[in-house]
Amino acid sequence: MTLMLRLAWRNLFRNKRRTLIAGTAIAIGLAALIFTDALIRGMKSQMIASATAAFIGEGQIHRRGFRLTQEVDLTIEDPASVMAKLEQEDAVGAFAPRTLSFGMVTSPANVRSAMVVGIDPGNEPSLSRVDDCVREGDFFEGSNERDLVIGSGLADLLEVGLGDRVVITVSQAGTGDLSQDMFRVSGVYSYGVKEMDEGFAFVRLAKAQDMLGIGANIHQIALKFEDIDFATREGNPFWEAYSAGGNEAVSWAVLLPQLEGILGLVWISLAFMAVILFGIVAFGIINTLFMSLYERMFEFGVLRAVGTRPSGVRRLIVYEAGALALLSIAMGTVLGFVLTYAVTRTGLDYRGIELAGTAFYDLLYPVLQARQFVIYPLAVLAFTMLMGLYPAHVAGKMKVAEALRKSL
Amino acid sequence: MDKGTDHLIVTESLAKDYFDGGAPVPAVRGIDLTIEAGEFTAIVGPSGSGKTTFLNLISGLDAPTGGKVWLKDKLLSGLSGNELSDFRRDHIGFIFQAYNLIPVLNVRENIEYIMLLQGVPEKERRERVGEILKEIGMAGFERRFPPKISGGQQQRVAIARAMVSRPELILADEPTANLDSGIGAELLDMMRDLNRRTGMTFLFSTHDPMVMDRADRVVTLHDGRVAKDDRRART
Repeated sequence: MTLMLRLAWRNLFRNKRRTLIAGTAIAIGLAALIFTDALIRGMKSQMIASATAAFIGEGQIHRRGFRLTQEVDLTIEDPASVMAKLEQEDAVGAFAPRTLSFGMVTSPANVRSAMVVGIDPGNEPSLSRVDDCVREGDFFEGSNERDLVIGSGLADLLEVGLGDRVVITVSQAGTGDLSQDMFRVSGVYSYGVKEMDEGFAFVRLAKAQDMLGIGANIHQIALKFEDIDFATREGNPFWEAYSAGGNEAVSWAVLLPQLEGILGLVWISLAFMAVILFGIVAFGIINTLFMSLYERMFEFGVLRAVGTRPSGVRRLIVYEAGALALLSIAMGTVLGFVLTYAVTRTGLDYRGIELAGTAFYDLLYPVLQARQFVIYPLAVLAFTMLMGLYPAHVAGKMKVAEALRKSL
Repeated sequence: MDKGTDHLIVTESLAKDYFDGGAPVPAVRGIDLTIEAGEFTAIVGPSGSGKTTFLNLISGLDAPTGGKVWLKDKLLSGLSGNELSDFRRDHIGFIFQAYNLIPVLNVRENIEYIMLLQGVPEKERRERVGEILKEIGMAGFERRFPPKISGGQQQRVAIARAMVSRPELILADEPTANLDSGIGAELLDMMRDLNRRTGMTFLFSTHDPMVMDRADRVVTLHDGRVAKDDRRART
């Protein structure tokens, strides 16, 4: 009934200050939800970009079983033809062939195990950010086949610096014989993630292939797509197409299940925050509606006396809660947009902070989406009207004669 | 259960006790009264004599602790909550002491409210509001809000609201108490005129001698009982 709606809307402004206070509380809650949602989306993009751009890539191709065993014998089947095919893929922005093997890195002072990664210095910078993180020396700029780039943590553990010599020992494919060679530290990178800084040693691809005795074979092709969402697009045939002939192609979501888990936890924490926030706001809403109800008890008595059914009075209270919600939504969406938009311009500085094995290397920018201005306002409307049900129930049960006692 | 009579209101041993700390405090003690359609009746008596409680009981706003009320042949205690609401909406008009218009609804909306509950079509609502405003001398005030008009004008609108749905019974609680005597007399004359022309039954709870002077019948309550029932010839 439109008169009931008009009545509810106008009643909202009978005590402007109280309505403004209650509406502001709800609006702040809504704005906080919009902002947090946008921040988490920004964080998600940043974490994925950070994790994939560091070294892993947005997808990888291996020989089936390699991911689990890291056996040096498990090289990619027909890598030349796989890479030729990748060259033709529009969706693939870049790819880099690699060898991977556990090895011992020995310095005069110490010995550490590390993942020895053979890379093509021409391709690798388009895939990983290790070259960007070199803080001493360079990233294979010369042509010395014995150049070695290691993380700052590994350098500290081995007590070596730029120009120092170390010996790398790996197990060869097929025979399992040990193969040793001497390298000179030509670059030291600092990525900011302990595992990356302490556990990796980069050498040239050809040198690694030679040490491992695998000829021109490789263990991994790291992939970068033109659109990062391509990797996790549902039903994407890419992965199946490259998981043929004994190889296996997987996206970052498979390679980094912990990242998905962390993001899931972040969303759960948003849900908890929303529950706590709106739990507090709920009392404000109920209090406002009850104050309004008790102040106008006589008026409700009049409405009942002239023939309004209890359900009509209940409906009026719920409409009033809805009107309060609409007002709050108007304020909250504006506040949420302004706040979030302002931060999308300035960014938040979380650079260098590590979370779930990834480090933020850029400013964190919230991601505004239209759905934030649809889902959360609708949730606030539903929640506020739900909170109105209790005062509405009380109003519906009022005894008319008691409400009118002062008059009739 | 129908009473099967032509009386508008019949009460039979009507009683109401309130409870104060568990002890019953009788407000109405076994009233037997009959009100005929078209009467212009005043219920009078000192404070605490049971006038308000009696009006609450015969309008179904409160439930008796003893006895029965028939209104338009309907036993009120036999009606459900929703049936009582609908019954009041369709058969009883209320005029309160403090006007009690809804302040956020304008004059037209206040008067229309009951017709909206009744589902009267918009065109008819507009016509009836226009007619009744003309009748009470408030034409042109449709869009004014109650706080912006005088007490006398508010009470006129309250009378219009009570009458617009054409109920058989108008219950008026001290309708002149907040008005100066000139305006009070004018409104009483207007209500008596409406009573004469439309045949609507008016039942007042009052202390006001002006109401008693104009009433066809004056029922005096004392300690919850009918002390005197004085019928007069119509003037």
